[in-house]
Amino acid sequence: MRGLKYQLKSILRDKFCLMTFLLPVLVAVALNFMGSIDLSTLGELHFGVLKNDLSPQTVTWLERYGPVTAYETQEELTAAVKEPSTNVIGVKADGDSIKTAISGDELDIFQQAAATLPALYEQRAEAELVKVLTLERPDILESFQDIFIPAVLIVAMFMGCTFNAMNIISEKEDGVAFINEILPMTPSQYIFQKVVVGFLFGSLSSIVTACICFRLSWQNFGLLLALIVLSSFVAALIGLFIGKLSEGLMIGVVYIKIVMLLFLAVPILCALIGPSGPLAVICNIVPSQPAFDGIMALSAGNTGTAVKDVGILTVHCIVWFSLYILILQKR
Amino acid sequence: MRKDFCALFKKDCRMLSSGKFFLMAAAFLALYTAYVNFGYIRFMRMEPYNVYLYDPAGTQTGKSPLVQTVSSMEDMNAVLLSDANGVGLDASAGEVQAVLYKGAKHVDRHRADYALSLLRPSVSPAPEILGTNTPEQKVRKEITCELLFFELAAVGFLGIAAILFREKGMGVIRVHAILPVQKDLFLLSKLAVFLLSDLAFAVLLTLLNTGLTDGAAVLPAVLLQTAILSLMMALVGLLCALLLKDFRQFTLAYLVIAIFAATPVFLSANTSVKLAWIGYHPFYHIYMGLKNAYFGTNISPGYYVGAVSVIVLLFLAVRLAFHREIGKEG
Repeated sequence: MRGLKYQLKSILRDKFCLMTFLLPVLVAVALNFMGSIDLSTLGELHFGVLKNDLSPQTVTWLERYGPVTAYETQEELTAAVKEPSTNVIGVKADGDSIKTAISGDELDIFQQAAATLPALYEQRAEAELVKVLTLERPDILESFQDIFIPAVLIVAMFMGCTFNAMNIISEKEDGVAFINEILPMTPSQYIFQKVVVGFLFGSLSSIVTACICFRLSWQNFGLLLALIVLSSFVAALIGLFIGKLSEGLMIGVVYIKIVMLLFLAVPILCALIGPSGPLAVICNIVPSQPAFDGIMALSAGNTGTAVKDVGILTVHCIVWFSLYILILQKR
Repeated sequence: MRKDFCALFKKDCRMLSSGKFFLMAAAFLALYTAYVNFGYIRFMRMEPYNVYLYDPAGTQTGKSPLVQTVSSMEDMNAVLLSDANGVGLDASAGEVQAVLYKGAKHVDRHRADYALSLLRPSVSPAPEILGTNTPEQKVRKEITCELLFFELAAVGFLGIAAILFREKGMGVIRVHAILPVQKDLFLLSKLAVFLLSDLAFAVLLTLLNTGLTDGAAVLPAVLLQTAILSLMMALVGLLCALLLKDFRQFTLAYLVIAIFAATPVFLSANTSVKLAWIGYHPFYHIYMGLKNAYFGTNISPGYYVGAVSVIVLLFLAVRLAFHREIGKEG
């Protein structure tokens, strides 16, 4: 236990490790906050007109649908329409009617709006008489958060990997690794001390993140806790592998980046593409896939899938642990 | 001098290779290409609003084929709940009433008026097309530009710092102080390695993600902007590596800077959200330079004068810091 105390003391002094623990929590808070921001104005129409071209009534009518900017010259208007970051629709007078100009690279919705604008202008008098019933809208960002929140949780869980890898690499660089070899400590004691540090921090970071993001029933929270604990354990073990294989801090950082990327990319791509058959089984080789799948299933209320994913993660824990013991004994 | 430079260049290449940086760049290239071609292109679609009509008496005879008919109000509610951007038209009571889920005020008005216009479709003149890109070409260019910018900033900045911290640790700078080699070559060889690897990365990323024809057309302009960005980031990375003591603290600072520097720039440059202060953000101008290169927009000569001045100033600052470091070591 005394060894563990020293390990914790050394980690707490390391600002890098503490920040990696805090980052997912900060992102979770930001995501929770983002849910309350209305980004629907991003889909608003923007119009560009030439100064003194359209009548004031037409400009007022256009302003019903979105902001109108008046440009001095045709060149300025053309440049504004062609600007790739906006979806400005150019509107010009065409006798009694209007005509529109677009860049041609807009999304379908804006192209359609530009194509139908002259027709809307013709029918403007009748349109004003029609009753419109607006209903309260469900949260627009909800579907995005469904993917973002498990992704942040995965990052939080796999922070244990960073803790452990960094810890072992810095011990190697400072020469502490050599001292560890001659200390009166069995390999199992060494593994225990090293795994526990990353595992504790990874689990803690994930639990805080989960508390911020999820509102689950106690039974589902128990399953989520099982997913967190198991995947944090696997991540802590992978951190040990990275630490063992890295010759220096920089190579360690590269390995961590690659592992983190793989852990994030595989489950997100799987969630978007939805593979089936042997490909779905292969994806489960990456430990973050069952973790992500389980969290997604829990947020949808599907406990059966979550239990299956807990099982897959248990197998991962056993396999990775045995593999590490095997490598350690061979050396 | 040329021989010295070649020797240093080879040594830096070997260090990058042993540090797995080329491997990492190749892995990121594969990942980005897969993301653009299999993911991003699919998500970036926004179909026109669906319009649903409940008309039990069949009063709306001249409606557009774009209008979908539903058989009851329950069906209408269910379909609107699953398609919150859609608009329902209820013609059961004689007069037509538009039903929609609340969004932005202006958008709601447009959705309702658009839906009603489909009941009495009229032929409007097609909009005049001013640009040359299709929606897919635009999306491809936009995302490639974002990925290239992020990767250049990350690889150049982090990579050069990693190499220099390693060399510092190995005592290479100390050895260099007594070597009969011109001191600036040490810096120039590092800049050359990163410049070449960034240019190669830019060529592959552009051609793989924007297509051969489109990519080749914008490549010269993109490579010029890549060179500017690469040199700047590599010099900033060198400066940080020379001034900071610990690589871990550097990685953390880098992570925070990357998130806080890149997010507002991407938001302002790619969406209609325009932040008032973004003109003072140096990354914004560099990013816009790269984006203008992808979209073939003219770049003002003032930007080039500014970019070259910044590169020269950064080089002088790095040179000063390097000589100070050599002095310390010696």
